[in-house]
Amino acid sequence: MNDAAHTHHGRELISFRIGAQEFCVDIMAVREIRGWTAATALPQSPSYVRGVINLRGAVLPIVDLPNRLGYGVSEPTARHVIIVAQIGTQFVGLLVDAVSDILTVTDDMIQPVPDIAPEAVKAFVQGLIAMDGRMISLIGLGRILPDVVQEAA
Amino acid sequence: MDPMEAIKQTFFQECEEQLAELEQGLLAIEGGETDSETVNAVFRAVHSIKGGAGAFGLEDLVRFAHVFETTLDHVRAGRLAPEADLLKVMLRAADVLADLVRAARDGGVVDEARCEVLRAELGAFSGEDETGDGDDGMGELDFQPLSFEPISFEPMAFEPTAIEADPFEPIGSELAFAPELAAADGRTTWIIHFRPHASLYAHANESALLLRELGRMGEVETTLDDSTLPPLADMEPEGAYLAWTVRLTTERDLDAIRGAFEWVEDDCDLKIEREGGAAEVASVQGPDPIELILAKALASAPAPTMEAPPPIPQIAEPAPLDVAALIRKAQAAEEPVLAPANAVPAPAAAHPATANAANATATTATIRVDLDRVDRLIDLVGELVINQAMLAQRVTESGLGRSSGVVTGLDELEHLTREIQDSVMAIRAQPVKSVFQRMPRLAREVAAMTGKSVRLVTEGEGCEVDKTVIERLSDPLTHMIRNAIDHGLERPDKRIAAGKSGEGVVRLSAAHRSGRIVIEVSDDGAGINRPRVKDIAIEKGLIAPDAVLSDEEIDNLIFLPGFSTASEVSDISGRGVGMDVVKRSIQALGGRISVASRPGLGSTFTLSLPLTLAVLDGMVVSAGSQTLVVPLTAIIETLQPKAAEVHPIGEGAHVISIRGGYVPLIDVGLALGYSDEAVEPAKGVALLIEGEGGARAALMVGAIQGQRQVVIKSLEANYRQVFGIAAATILGDGRVALILDIDALVAGQKGLESPAPVLRTAAIG
Amino acid sequence: MSMTVLTVDDSRTMRDMLKLALSEAGYNVIQAEDGIHGLEVLQGSSPDVIITDINMPRMDGFGFIEGVRRDDTYRAVPILVLTTESDAEKKSRARAAGATGWIVKPFDRAKLVDAIRRVAA
Repeated sequence: MNDAAHTHHGRELISFRIGAQEFCVDIMAVREIRGWTAATALPQSPSYVRGVINLRGAVLPIVDLPNRLGYGVSEPTARHVIIVAQIGTQFVGLLVDAVSDILTVTDDMIQPVPDIAPEAVKAFVQGLIAMDGRMISLIGLGRILPDVVQEAA
Repeated sequence: MDPMEAIKQTFFQECEEQLAELEQGLLAIEGGETDSETVNAVFRAVHSIKGGAGAFGLEDLVRFAHVFETTLDHVRAGRLAPEADLLKVMLRAADVLADLVRAARDGGVVDEARCEVLRAELGAFSGEDETGDGDDGMGELDFQPLSFEPISFEPMAFEPTAIEADPFEPIGSELAFAPELAAADGRTTWIIHFRPHASLYAHANESALLLRELGRMGEVETTLDDSTLPPLADMEPEGAYLAWTVRLTTERDLDAIRGAFEWVEDDCDLKIEREGGAAEVASVQGPDPIELILAKALASAPAPTMEAPPPIPQIAEPAPLDVAALIRKAQAAEEPVLAPANAVPAPAAAHPATANAANATATTATIRVDLDRVDRLIDLVGELVINQAMLAQRVTESGLGRSSGVVTGLDELEHLTREIQDSVMAIRAQPVKSVFQRMPRLAREVAAMTGKSVRLVTEGEGCEVDKTVIERLSDPLTHMIRNAIDHGLERPDKRIAAGKSGEGVVRLSAAHRSGRIVIEVSDDGAGINRPRVKDIAIEKGLIAPDAVLSDEEIDNLIFLPGFSTASEVSDISGRGVGMDVVKRSIQALGGRISVASRPGLGSTFTLSLPLTLAVLDGMVVSAGSQTLVVPLTAIIETLQPKAAEVHPIGEGAHVISIRGGYVPLIDVGLALGYSDEAVEPAKGVALLIEGEGGARAALMVGAIQGQRQVVIKSLEANYRQVFGIAAATILGDGRVALILDIDALVAGQKGLESPAPVLRTAAIG
Repeated sequence: MSMTVLTVDDSRTMRDMLKLALSEAGYNVIQAEDGIHGLEVLQGSSPDVIITDINMPRMDGFGFIEGVRRDDTYRAVPILVLTTESDAEKKSRARAAGATGWIVKPFDRAKLVDAIRRVAA
């Protein structure tokens, strides 16, 4: 179903800004968008894991996405938003500055990431989309959470 | 799902119940229970499994169950005494039967040789050769409906040898040797003399229906014989006065014709003969002398014939029950399976009281519910508890007085919420029986492999505990029972030499104690060999060679990772799994394990477990800027330490003196990285806690906020395990609070690798 | 009006199979789990045929058949005994108790329907 939709009508992406750069994630992975609430910090966690919040009874980890992508630690305010995304069977909240747009693109519009990009970018950016003179990086969510094997030890 | 497939699943579920009943029954009989209902229940269990297996064509299962059933039938009839050796064989047979059921369900393979051995052993008891191919149960089931047992024949009037020689040989096959008697089209004409007795009607059979059956087989001419009809005044209302002679031309053989009379053989005079003056072929008669019947039949023959009024029209119409039409009708109504109430509306309305009584019984005391639904309900109740707490907090913050209507209403709400929560938790609670009942088999197998003699006694099987706890109890208990037999009990000769009974006793018990379930595994073996344990611990570098240990401390060495008392790894308790793994899995359930041992008298392992993994009684504390929950069960006492009681010991480490002893002091905020500075002793609170193996420590926190039952939420569901944290919960303000993993904190303080968290959460949230 | 069959069997598997086979054949099915329950269900219903197992807890098939036959209302209802029992003794006991006929397990739908047809108009 989804594949067919992608081929014929393109795929829909949610784009957001981090500083001057624009990023996007597949809308199929996004469950909801909500405002920032203070998270409970987790001990001995990477800096990009802000902690956990209560999402209607479930414990939801919050990832500081700019920090995960190699930017500084965010200073969240009430204007920040959390994109609740599903990765496999898990749900994770992605802290971003603001959601800017919903884009429709076809697969042929997505270009590969050049080799010269920093490692932090290459690890998460699946492709680049040129649109109206802007460059938007498509984020793959698969590796957003800390790697259990490496970091839990 | 295909309805038959669904029924097959039901069958396998039911098999598990029957297998449990079987084993329990056999154990009860072994324990001296001799009442007939116990024996019957055991018989019924095997019988039911065989019946269902036959329906699904599970031949291996049927064959084995049949042999088992035959032996049980002898016991039931009192022909075989349930002696100890027979019961041992039957218990092993029950194990094989269980394996066969599971193999049939999961598509596995069962050791055929083992089945064969047990079949032979059972057969030896019942005095029958049960291993031969001739009688495998399946064949018997197949042939049963098609043949006539020799016993039901009155052999006087027909060729007895032809039938008794081989009951499976169709009687009609003799026709092949008399081709001149068969008509050219392969049809034969038979003359059937049929005189029902009153008993035929008493059994609710109907002559008319029997004649209709004959009508289905071919062309019939029916002659009614009413010559014995008495004058009306003399007629018994339930007497039988009519007889029929049917001339049937059919392709069907004698067997088929007799088949129509199968159920009334004892309730009528019946003679079937080939037309054309051939010798009488078959006849069955009731109490009347055959001569009399023949005379009557002959006498009636020349008399004016008259057709029997009711049967004839029915014979002309061979399908009075239009099944196809009924199916269409049922389908049109979109309700192919009619509920009993729909089926009989009028009588139900006429007897509402009795109908209700019947319904009440039909709806048994239990229902089956998808576990997901229960978990969903538990989740929702958890939400309700949190919401209620949040509401209460808001109300408190709003400054309403204690006596205001809102506050008292909230108190009531809290009470109700708690009650709902308890009730919902009770839904998931199950008796430990489901785990306990797997242990007798294990005990038998381990005893057989180790050459020991053991009696397993179970107590408190009715104790209930959350399903998740039960599921995770099986492995540790299995290991503990193995250990008790393999390591705990001595060999029979040693026991006898020590003045004990040759048969060792392993006791498995469960009891509720102060909100937890306590499970004990005890044996009456030799007890822990302390010198040996200590030697091994020194050998393996687990303790210093000059360590001075109390008996209790030595006993606890067996829980250390990598410890094994067996000088060689045995098949049973080996596999690299020691008591350390048992301990870890018990701790993962939020439980504790301890051992008490007395030389020469045996050992007792005691498990203490929470009743549920969904809620926890906790103490809410603050550390740094964070609110944390400490499991109440770990807390021994709370202390207000004085600065003078805290002493540094090495760099960054402190101990606190409590009543003359020193225990490590752990600053929770520092340990978890929530604060950079330790709480000043006089400004904080210390919680004296006891972790694994009784290790004590004091946790330094900023303040105590109160005690609360909290709903446990998994961190792993959406994230992963976190050091020092067992799980999460949601507090009244809607924020997530973390539940401390006491043992990890204590171990982490010692600079050791952190073990598994004390508490893994139930699959909730 | 389709016929109503009362089945009495302690095995859930057998009850389900009977219900499936009989419903598919167009019968109304009412069910009971043992002899005592069978007698309870019988009150307030009027089955055209009764099919009963022999080996059951609380009250076995023999007791159930005798109970049915003792009641004038149900004396003439055909009762088929459904059992894996093969020995003639069981059948003659069932017959002595008042059974009309028997069906030997395992049964298929044809066998079941055929047996009912033989005893019910």
